[in-house]
Amino acid sequence: MSQSSDSPLSVVSSAEPSASPFTRPLLLTAAEDWIGWFLSKLGRAALLAVTGTSVLAVGLILVFIVREAWPFLRDRGLSEALGSTQWYPQAQGREQFGMLALIFGSIYVTAGAMILAVPTGILAAMVLSDIVPFRVRQAVKPVIELLAAIPSVAYGFFAILVLAPLLQTYLHLSTGANALNASLVLAVMAIPTIVSVAEDALWAVGRELREASYACGATRAETLLRVVAPAAHHGLIAAVVLGMMRAVGETMLVWMASGNACRIPSPWWDWTQSVRTMTATIAGEMGETPKGSVHYHALFMVGLMLLVLSLGLNLATETLLARAKRAAGGKA
Amino acid sequence: MNIPIRQGLNRLFTTAALLSVVLIVAALVGILLPMVWRGGGAVLFRGTVEFRRMQLEQFNRGDLSTLRGEIEQVTSVRQRAWDILDRFAAGLDTSELATRVRQIHRDVGVQLSHRGLLPDEVQRLRALSQQLRDELLAAFGAADKAEGSAHLEAVLSHADEPGLKDTAAAVYFDIARQYAHVLTTVDLSRRGEYAQALGEVEAAMRALLGPRPGERLPAVVMERYGATRWDQAAQQLDRLLWAERWQADTAGQTLKKVRIPREQQFAGTELAELFPYVQHNVRAMLLPRWTFYGHYFTDDSLSGHYFGGVGPEIIGTLAITVLAIAFALPVGVVTAGYLVECAGDNHATRLLRTCINTLAGVPSIVFGLFGLAFFVIYLLPKLGLPAGSSILAGALTLALLVLPVIIRASEEAIRVVPLAYKEAALSLGASRFHCFITVTLPAALPGILTGLILSLSRAAGETAPILFTAGVAMGPIPTSLAQPTRTLSYGSYDMAVGDKMASLAPYNQFGMVATLIAIVLLLNAAAIVLRGRISKRLRGQ
Repeated sequence: MSQSSDSPLSVVSSAEPSASPFTRPLLLTAAEDWIGWFLSKLGRAALLAVTGTSVLAVGLILVFIVREAWPFLRDRGLSEALGSTQWYPQAQGREQFGMLALIFGSIYVTAGAMILAVPTGILAAMVLSDIVPFRVRQAVKPVIELLAAIPSVAYGFFAILVLAPLLQTYLHLSTGANALNASLVLAVMAIPTIVSVAEDALWAVGRELREASYACGATRAETLLRVVAPAAHHGLIAAVVLGMMRAVGETMLVWMASGNACRIPSPWWDWTQSVRTMTATIAGEMGETPKGSVHYHALFMVGLMLLVLSLGLNLATETLLARAKRAAGGKA
Repeated sequence: MNIPIRQGLNRLFTTAALLSVVLIVAALVGILLPMVWRGGGAVLFRGTVEFRRMQLEQFNRGDLSTLRGEIEQVTSVRQRAWDILDRFAAGLDTSELATRVRQIHRDVGVQLSHRGLLPDEVQRLRALSQQLRDELLAAFGAADKAEGSAHLEAVLSHADEPGLKDTAAAVYFDIARQYAHVLTTVDLSRRGEYAQALGEVEAAMRALLGPRPGERLPAVVMERYGATRWDQAAQQLDRLLWAERWQADTAGQTLKKVRIPREQQFAGTELAELFPYVQHNVRAMLLPRWTFYGHYFTDDSLSGHYFGGVGPEIIGTLAITVLAIAFALPVGVVTAGYLVECAGDNHATRLLRTCINTLAGVPSIVFGLFGLAFFVIYLLPKLGLPAGSSILAGALTLALLVLPVIIRASEEAIRVVPLAYKEAALSLGASRFHCFITVTLPAALPGILTGLILSLSRAAGETAPILFTAGVAMGPIPTSLAQPTRTLSYGSYDMAVGDKMASLAPYNQFGMVATLIAIVLLLNAAAIVLRGRISKRLRGQ
């Protein structure tokens, strides 16, 4: 539908509507029209090529992570990675690469963070969408966004130098760098994501449902919890999953705050023990690993698992958000 | 359910919900405040004369004549403290005294042989000198006060010996008198303890006041200056005034930290007067004055991060960030333009969108791994650049990381440009490309700028992607893009965890992260203001 791809005879005014003399003929010759058409196609192709960078990037990331992880998969197999908790990459001649403890560590701190962040985040989203006046919402939202803007290394700095001594003193722990510390700060990091997505989802439900509920005599709590939240559940779940992605993929904070002890805490509910996550393992060990060693490939294997996990979660959110959109569209 | 219960539950819900918002805001304040407050101490603090001396010597900054005056002023006050210390140390360090005494005996022998005295007389005096020497050595070795005094009296009884007049032997008697004084004040049985504590005291004095005047300069810059800041001086003073000992209340129990005043530790000795003296005169010794150290943001750091600022880190952060945005912005804006203007709802577009979302969801450490495997090990060596982390590799990695941010912000900005603009342009005969460049893009520019600023702040704060691709903790300021660099983010990590020395300078530790936070928050504030203006303009129409 671009102008130049129209037939040569349909003249779209290419002159300015002023009294000045026309600088271009009103009629295009066939050749000119073809060139224009060709150029427009070429331009589109060029644009598509630039646009393809993102696709290319995703492809390259997949290819190169898999390529570097492949020697580990080939020589050691997935069974060693997922079948053992023994991670001893430096033991000369008797290296062991059991990643279960790392996976558990990631899940552990993420779960701890989610327990704190999900109720807080969704309640805060409800406050912003339904409880406080619009003006307050406009003031509070940037503040919550600032939380998302603070770099993770700054959170880690806070966790290890400010929070850890406090935890150590007031909870009488042997170390302040533990799963509890990591989960607490991770929760703060995940909250902005949850609030922002959940608020959008609640907002998208629309006035009709709310008004109908209020008209039936429901209180605000009942309206929000039993009408609006169920209607927005796809979006709310997406918010939680996005917050989870943020927490699972977080590196610097957990590396600095979690204590990096590579074992499953026992008893498992003791949150004040040190754990180590997959991300922290990569960050901590890649620097001093010789390129091409089994350890190096094993770390890429950990990276591959993270990548697959985040791709899976990502796909889940996209599906959920698409459904949420369709549901909202259907009701409106 | 009856109505009061329902209303009560409703109120409970509202309270809980409001509480959650309060909690979030409190978390923001609770996290930012300690870091910014303590980090602010790197820039605004009470600097001492040592700080001004360091600035002048290391950075050639400040007024020489004023500083000279100040140094003269403090030196006179400090000298007395050093004198007290020296006097006590001399009495305590008997091995040095013993060496001196032995030297004197040899000198006496030489002097006597040049006097032209009778051989018998020389023989007698030499024997006397030897006797005196041995008496003194015995006195130094005596563990008992009475025994030592007896030996000293034996020495002093020969003080009027005419034969030894005008020889080096006169010094024997000075030493004997001095040591007699020491014997009256120092508890000999605690000599070993004193010697150890004296070492601590001297170290604390050095840390407080710097090396004593006339001494050879230490090789390490950190040791060339005393406490440069008043808060640091307070700490060192505390170290000087209080001894810390780990003691068990009863055997087998865990050790407890006990603080003993040094004055009490050295009670009855000459050194005891040092502590009140320093305590009362520490202000005159250091001349603290409120200082605004604006050059913190441009100075290189010295002695690890003990002195100096974060100049190279800021430059490195800027270099990597700006380069990353320079790579990502054109691609991002073109992609956004394509998505809004050209893309229909087909498979290619859907794939594109999925990829953008995927890219946004990839954990940052995986970007780091990818940067290492692709840019550092694979691509850059192929292009003839040295393998190894470099600014270029880091910037390319970060560019991929911020690409989705830029695309989303730009897409949003382009999408909200009123359709009337485009229709007007097209109706005037502009081609779609022309229309996009001259009408849509300028109208969307503030929105794109907002995205740009946000991605700048994101890129500046990311650490995991540059761990293996661009960052170093220490190193020279890079001169080309093929070299690694220090950055604020990597520096913050390193100062918090990696660098053990950094905890000696907590103000610089916190200063680094506070600088990073300040940059990020300023960028975000700018973005918020900009967005407010855009929405106001859009509402105005």
